Amino acid sequence: MDHATWPTGTLVVLLSILILYKIFSARLGKSLFIRRIPGLNAIDEAVGRATEMGRPMVFVPGIGGLSLPTLQALSILKYITGIAAKYRTRIIVPTIDSVVYTVAEEIMKDAYAAHGTPEQFNPDDIRYLSDDQFAFASGVVGILNREKAASNFMFGYFAAEALILAETGHQVGAIQIAGTPSVLQIPFFITAADYTIIGDEFYAASAYLSREPTLLGSLVGQDYAKALLILIILAGIVTVSLPPMHFHGWLSFLNHLPDWVKWFQ
Amino acid sequence: MFTRFLIKPGAPQWLWVLGVLGDFLIFGGILFGLLQLVPVRFRRPLIVALTFIAGLIYSVEFFYPADPKTQMNFLTPLRIKLGEATKVVYAFALGLGTFNLIRFHGGNVIRNRAGWFYSLIFFISFFAMAGAGFWSYYCPSKAAENTYNMLFEGIVASLGATMFSTIGFYIVSAAYRAFRIRSAEATLMLLAAFIVMVGQVPVGAYITSGLPEVGPLRNLRLENLSYWILSQPNMAAQRGIWFGIEVGALAMALRQWLSLERGSFFEREL
Repeated sequence: MDHATWPTGTLVVLLSILILYKIFSARLGKSLFIRRIPGLNAIDEAVGRATEMGRPMVFVPGIGGLSLPTLQALSILKYITGIAAKYRTRIIVPTIDSVVYTVAEEIMKDAYAAHGTPEQFNPDDIRYLSDDQFAFASGVVGILNREKAASNFMFGYFAAEALILAETGHQVGAIQIAGTPSVLQIPFFITAADYTIIGDEFYAASAYLSREPTLLGSLVGQDYAKALLILIILAGIVTVSLPPMHFHGWLSFLNHLPDWVKWFQ
Repeated sequence: MFTRFLIKPGAPQWLWVLGVLGDFLIFGGILFGLLQLVPVRFRRPLIVALTFIAGLIYSVEFFYPADPKTQMNFLTPLRIKLGEATKVVYAFALGLGTFNLIRFHGGNVIRNRAGWFYSLIFFISFFAMAGAGFWSYYCPSKAAENTYNMLFEGIVASLGATMFSTIGFYIVSAAYRAFRIRSAEATLMLLAAFIVMVGQVPVGAYITSGLPEVGPLRNLRLENLSYWILSQPNMAAQRGIWFGIEVGALAMALRQWLSLERGSFFEREL
């Protein structure tokens, strides 16, 4: 892990303050406008479809360990399990990581118990398959085919197996919703899945789904932070595009204006 | 911890394994016992405080200026140790995964469920691979090494490569579906993909080889067009997504660190 330089350190602190300010202003009851995220709106539709068809759903929490992307995926799993418990729809969760497997099992148990249907929880529906990337992928492909999944959710960190899973899901006729912070896999999901949550929307999922004021504040804070970054980028573009300046007298400080861009390099 | 003081360097390996297991059980037991002793109403604040302190160690370590020579500051050794401790916890969790596999496939075989035969194959594979691994590690010999290599390189690695190879076929089917959609965006994507793919291969360079290599017309050579698409609009879009992802990750990390993510994982309160 690298250490912070002054520019990155300042920027991280600035963005953190912005996000935290929005979180705490939301907690104080300030109403916030939230933009629509179609991929997350489609989750209920996907669960409904599986319920109507009487077929199970598959939720793949990626191939990462217990990191931020996986934690976000697990928060989405909690929401989906809650709806699945309400409609009595089966959900199968294959995992690649034994720690993720244990946490996911507890989350699912808890979600079923919270909806008053603890008997619905089937320990065989949460499965640790393998910690090998392609052994895991082939295991998930097998589950999708054998169970004829009606819905396939793919959230978390994905790598080369993303397209294998998404194309198999398409072949079995599952409605597919995917979200990943892995930039290289986003095009594959856009091509093969019905809905794809792109970029920071993935980390906004728990806020969007729960509508918890604290989390919604964080979502708005993210948007403000992005706006600030855009402003910095635009200012940089304008600065480096300016011709060399030769001011004299009290305006001579403007000659050093392009130097601020070097601070970020 | 205790292992370092009780076991001398050069002691047999099994003694070290026992020592580490003992350490884990003693400290794990003490921690678990202490958590049980804490009154219920203090458990959540305790976990929140521990989460905050752990996050604070990493944050301060990141922000505190490092020694230019060693690239370390006063907290870096502690961060490394914490990373090692996490690996140990992960190693123990691996047993839970293995238990889940055995329970699930054991149930399939015992209850004669559909596909029980595949579960039987799992057990045969599991014990064969584990057996070969232990054999080659504890009783090194040519036969053991060959058996292990035959199973791992010959079967496991080959199966992995086979799964990886299927991506090629899936790319074709996914691309066909994506480009078949009749819309302005799909047409643009098709055009960009065609230029990029053809520009990457020698035949692409041959098609536009008649164009000059210098001057403004060189930009229309397929290999240059392909490079421009990849390095300019594509890179700009990717960086835009990256910015969003990193800001989102920062927001989520803050929520985790300050325990603001309440209700995202569990309904019940501690």
